Amino acid sequence: MAFAIEKNAVSGWLERLLQLGEVIAPTRTPSGDVLFSNIRSAAEVTWDLPNPLHPPKEFVLPQTDPIVQIKRNGKQHEVEAIHDGRRRFLVNTRSCDVKGIAFLTRMHEMEPADASYLRRSNNLTLISVACTTPCPLGFCICTDSGPFLSSSYDAQLTDLGQSYLVEVGSAKGEATVAEGQGLFRKATETEVSQRRELEEKARQSFGDQTCHFASAMRRISTGRVQDPLWQKMSDWCLECGGCNVVCPTCYCFSVKDLGRDGSWIRCRLRDSCQYAAFTLEASGHNPRAQRKYRMKRRFFHKVSAQYYSRDGAVGCVGCGRCVQVCLGATHMPAVVSAIRKGNWHE
Amino acid sequence: MLAVPTACPFCSCGCGFHLLVGEGQLFGVAASQTHPVSGGQLCARGWSGHEAALWGDRLREPRLRRNGKQESVSWDEALAHVALRLKELVAAGKPVGVLGSSRATNEENYLAGKFARAGLATNNVGFSYYPICAPLLAGMEEVCGTPQPTLRLSEIASSQVILLVEGNLAETHPRAAGSVLKAVENGAHLITIGCRETQMARVASLQVQTTPGSEGEVMTELSDMIADLGRRAPSATVEKAAGIQSLETGDRTEALRQAAEWIVRAERAAFLIPPTCGQEDRQRNAAAAIVALAANSGHLDKPGSGILPLLARCNAKGACDMAVVHDRLPGYDRLDDAQSRQRLEDLWGKKLPSARGWDAETLLKSVSGLVIVADDPPSVMPKGQQATTALEKIEFLVVLDAFATPTARMAQALLPIASFAETEGTFTNAEARVQRLRPATTPPGEARPGWQVLADFCARFDAAATYRSASDVLREIGRAVPQYAGIQEQLSGDGWGGALLQCSRGRNPQTQVRATRTTDAESLTSTERPYLLVRDSGFDWGNDPFVSFSPTLSRDYRSQRRTFPHGFVEMAQDDADAIGLRGGRQVKLISVHGQAVVPIQVRRDLQRGLLFVPYAFRDHVSGVLGPDSIAAVRVESA
Repeated sequence: MAFAIEKNAVSGWLERLLQLGEVIAPTRTPSGDVLFSNIRSAAEVTWDLPNPLHPPKEFVLPQTDPIVQIKRNGKQHEVEAIHDGRRRFLVNTRSCDVKGIAFLTRMHEMEPADASYLRRSNNLTLISVACTTPCPLGFCICTDSGPFLSSSYDAQLTDLGQSYLVEVGSAKGEATVAEGQGLFRKATETEVSQRRELEEKARQSFGDQTCHFASAMRRISTGRVQDPLWQKMSDWCLECGGCNVVCPTCYCFSVKDLGRDGSWIRCRLRDSCQYAAFTLEASGHNPRAQRKYRMKRRFFHKVSAQYYSRDGAVGCVGCGRCVQVCLGATHMPAVVSAIRKGNWHE
Repeated sequence: MLAVPTACPFCSCGCGFHLLVGEGQLFGVAASQTHPVSGGQLCARGWSGHEAALWGDRLREPRLRRNGKQESVSWDEALAHVALRLKELVAAGKPVGVLGSSRATNEENYLAGKFARAGLATNNVGFSYYPICAPLLAGMEEVCGTPQPTLRLSEIASSQVILLVEGNLAETHPRAAGSVLKAVENGAHLITIGCRETQMARVASLQVQTTPGSEGEVMTELSDMIADLGRRAPSATVEKAAGIQSLETGDRTEALRQAAEWIVRAERAAFLIPPTCGQEDRQRNAAAAIVALAANSGHLDKPGSGILPLLARCNAKGACDMAVVHDRLPGYDRLDDAQSRQRLEDLWGKKLPSARGWDAETLLKSVSGLVIVADDPPSVMPKGQQATTALEKIEFLVVLDAFATPTARMAQALLPIASFAETEGTFTNAEARVQRLRPATTPPGEARPGWQVLADFCARFDAAATYRSASDVLREIGRAVPQYAGIQEQLSGDGWGGALLQCSRGRNPQTQVRATRTTDAESLTSTERPYLLVRDSGFDWGNDPFVSFSPTLSRDYRSQRRTFPHGFVEMAQDDADAIGLRGGRQVKLISVHGQAVVPIQVRRDLQRGLLFVPYAFRDHVSGVLGPDSIAAVRVESA
């Protein structure tokens, strides 16, 4: 069922959510950047900001993620899990990021399930805003992750001018709307059809930014991308790992203990499959010592039919962040295009 | 979650990022789309920029060495002891000195220099990266009268021609390398000059292979060709080269002619120079020749064109500007510059010493008392082992650092200071952009901001120092260094607001470069010693605390050192095949200076006839290299 809320009532709703937990929304920093951060009052939320360069996966998979605490007790060691069960509301997030978190959750639910991740994601409510105009570098229509969603969100808002149409997609979403008792009303049929028109219009206004996954998938899955092409592409990668950091679906990590006054905190650290040492073995042997093999691995994971059939989606939500962040030139659309055409930069 | 905008502490590109803080602890980095240098991008080091400060072996309390052990004491006791001991040494007529650092802030370096000159009355002041970058700066100065850059990093991407003296830009300055790739993608001609087929060389339009140390000759050749081109119309046959053209000696002249045409025809050309290797004179000459080439082709002071020196560390330029250098005064002015001297004497209220100090290498060997600010000479200086031996012999060694470096472990007095993530201050990047550091967390334990500790030193040695903040120090820098006048006010805002120093755009460049007196490296070889052993001109990031204490960044380096505890020397595949050597085999290298036994690693991207020592492993062959960074050697299997 769809609801509607007047724009001037939204801050009242957010104030109630602030009583229940952390409310996270894109905010403008003094330096002019847009970052997801905790807000202290509803007035801090600006609705028409561009999607932040950093995806909100930080709130389910922090760059430094404490997992367990290890304490020395005489000759024994005590190990205790660190729980982050804080309730969080992610407000004004975009469709691509909702799909990104859905992707991460699906992966972390697979056996053996990741309790630490799931504790965070179970307590996270996604209140997204559908995109009525595509962002300049986004290609979410190629990955079925926008501009509007039909699933994965807890609540999806559509900007109708004076009000928001609110679609509820889960029990968490229902509960969140229930918190705004008295602020929501049933949406009219006109409002529902208005939303449909906006979605159609948004789809039609996508520009040239496309990503032809299908043909790249055929070639990658059947090993038909020649080694020299990977070699050539890898000369245009500066191994910064930025694509991994900002990718809403990347989750690679390493583990390290942080020592503090006789106890240790075992942390999961965000890592990148593009770093030479990511697959470095204790013997000094590295199965993917050359960058071209690391690149091949990354795109096999993202685009191959093998992973597509496991995950039910390509490992890309079309947000276009890697296009912005790539220090070299080997972002998703560029590599997919090179694989499709069989050559690079010619 | 708090996002604190600050400057990246690694290379001299000077990117900016947000440090992410939660519950008073660093946990990550977020790039900034609005930063003028990095524009939403970072390199691997930047993305792990928070790690060293969080995970590193941090110094937490002041310590004094007693009975061979560094015992923790109070700040008052430590500071009083340091002052007392240094005063005793000075009173006994023993030499003392100060080292600043290419990773310390401008404020720390400025106060380190002030403490040496006004407090200890000596010009024995330096920083350990200076011997590596000094010839490059001297070469630039020879032509332009100043070592200032005339190109901004942001101008690289829109260049039509880029001439890159290639160390390994993709690794040393990834931000600049990214801009070079962008330019090449847009159709620019990239000309690389070096002895290896590096990543940048592979994407270049033209790869000029040279023996290390003879880059200057290539530049002179190019300059001559440009002068020739000036006398006739450019040939119509030169077309945009597609793909890579590797050069055999035969068509080298033709290829250089083509390069000369590209340079002459370009509206915007970028010249990127890192420190090179070989004898000091030749390094200086190579730098002078490339600047002269830029001047001869009209690109030295044209908007969008110019030269950019690629110093390794974030604040190497700042350290030069603040003059933690034995023969300069703040502003990089000469020691005998009367005007500059007067300005400083008026400002500091002290008569300044006029005798030149010792250079860093001599200083380490000769002083009895030494104060080191965030520097680790054994990991930075060309002769690392020698630096360690020298430090061990120093009677009274005071170290201010945030990290437990090998130097810190040797200190008689160890004073913990805040790292870049916890302090206020500024860095000056390669293009002369002064940028603010903002504290994201509090320093660990009792550590204090470095400027505060140094201000305390100055006060105890009667060199006026009443600063309430790092901004006060920067304001004083504005009076001591004319170029920095007004910088403090420009940086006081909320945003990134880096302040660009005025770059001199080549005042009457001296385009006739004097010839080197030294012989070129290639002619050192003979049938008896047919190989050239070359020490990498680079910088050993693996031993830098910002890398070695980062779990993510240290892995490669750690593994390499564990796998090769005795280091290695790289050899070209064809050479190894010719003598029947495989990777991992030990060889004996013999030069006129000495010999060493080291394993070799076989490389396909290396020119024949060269043996290459990574900077990290330089000490294993220091006896073979002798005083220089290049030596002719014979190879015997061991």
